[in-house]
Amino acid sequence: MIDKQPPLFRLENVSLKISGKLLLENISLDISQGDFMLITGPSGSGKTTLLRMLNGLHSPTSGNVHYNGKPILNENLAQTRQEIGMVFQNPAVFMGSVRENLLLRQRWDASFLPSEKDTANALQNVDLAGDMLNADARSLSGGEKQRLALARVLLNNPKALLLDEPTANLDEALAAQILERISKLKHDLGLTVVLVSHQSSAYMEGISRNIQLDKGNIT
Amino acid sequence: MEHSFYIITWPDIFVSLVLVAFCIGLIKWWRVGLESSILIGTVRTFVQLSVMGYVLTWFFAQDHWLFMVGLIAVMILIASFEGYRRQEVKVPGYFLIVMFSMAITVVLILGTIMGFILDVKPWYSPYAMIPIAGMIIGNGLNSLSLTTNRLMSELHHREEEIELFLSLGAPPKAAVEESMKESVKAALIPNINALMMVGLVQIPGVMTGQILAGIDPLIAVKYQIMIMYMWITTSTLATVLTQLLVIRKFFTPHQQLRREMLRISD
Ligand SMILES: Nc1ncnc2c1ncn2[C@@H]1O[C@H](COP(=O)(O)OP(=O)(O)O)[C@@H](O)[C@H]1O
Ligand SMILES: [Mg+2]
Repeated sequence: MIDKQPPLFRLENVSLKISGKLLLENISLDISQGDFMLITGPSGSGKTTLLRMLNGLHSPTSGNVHYNGKPILNENLAQTRQEIGMVFQNPAVFMGSVRENLLLRQRWDASFLPSEKDTANALQNVDLAGDMLNADARSLSGGEKQRLALARVLLNNPKALLLDEPTANLDEALAAQILERISKLKHDLGLTVVLVSHQSSAYMEGISRNIQLDKGNIT
Repeated sequence: MEHSFYIITWPDIFVSLVLVAFCIGLIKWWRVGLESSILIGTVRTFVQLSVMGYVLTWFFAQDHWLFMVGLIAVMILIASFEGYRRQEVKVPGYFLIVMFSMAITVVLILGTIMGFILDVKPWYSPYAMIPIAGMIIGNGLNSLSLTTNRLMSELHHREEEIELFLSLGAPPKAAVEESMKESVKAALIPNINALMMVGLVQIPGVMTGQILAGIDPLIAVKYQIMIMYMWITTSTLATVLTQLLVIRKFFTPHQQLRREMLRISD
């Protein structure tokens, strides 16, 4: 027998109630290393809330969230969050250059000093041209901002990617391009990917699991 | 050169009412519809300041340190209620936060002025303590209300940005850095502008009063300088203390933003 390693994420009877409203109800879910999980469900069903839970941005009202066999909200929370790269639906891009946005972490972490090569690689990994580093980040298109946000979490060498509707604001061709890129990254970097989308259909190959949310429940 | 000292009598005050009457007539003729407000304001000014004069006279006659300490505590308490009332977004524990920030600010600044600048004897002399404490509390209250209101709106608008920082492993302090900067600026810029502009256009209020009361302009100037420095210090101290205490309320021990607290402001 081989030792069974713990799932990367384990949710045990997780419920979340905020201001009297039940946003997630008794969710139990394992996400294993290397999974490519698609979470679908109508708008307002709790998909974003679930992703936020997986990055430790919410504490469950009841139940437990484990990461790598340990409670996700442990004393290494900062490092844990860096390992779990979260890309929000509206990629936040700040004043300043693409480089400043990529290296945002330097604002609080002086030891974060990726080499020029790593930085260039991160851009390349998301199909952004290397000469973009000095461009004004706010002048990027929606798709480029989305990719910049992805590159930003990739610089942290994540184990997992949490992607919230990464293609929601993009046209079909661009969406397909991004999804293809995500598949490739997952494969090349051995990532675990959790992808949220409100349209259930037409997702790429390689999805290993698909769960559906409705009113905070897995259906 | 001899200083002149002008005494205003009650009949003189009634003469000044002629000016107000003229202004009310003008407003009425212009049909702005503010004459009743001006009238009420005129009466209130008269009543409030007269009462204040008698109250101050009585206060100044009290000669006990305990009385002065109690009085200042009551002033801080009233200011804290006012600060709490002015706050649109309710921050839990805000009343205590304001009271604490004010108390520290008053003790430090009033203490420095009474003990080291004016060398007042006795240290609780009401003639110095009451007006200076009043200025500190009024200015501090203003600044901390400005900063908290601005902080609330910054947090509200930057919710996504703050969570992005947190999701990248940033400590809350880094996540709110921009919001803090903006809200400190909002509170301090009026004071900084005052430091820049004082004496260029008009004689500041306190100096005007002193000069009319016959005090040498060079003495009045020193008072004004001290007051300006006191203002900026008060603002800075009250603002920073309040911010530090308020911002903590918006994060959990697990470095999560309490978004539901921002929701209330919708
Ligand atoms: N902090 C919050 N406080 C109160 N309600 C919230 C909060 N965050 C999200 N919600 C509500 O929770 C529900 C689920 O939201 P969300 O997870 O964003 O859904 P989805 O991503 O599936 O569209 C929605 O009804 C939303 O309005
Ligand atoms: Mg969503």
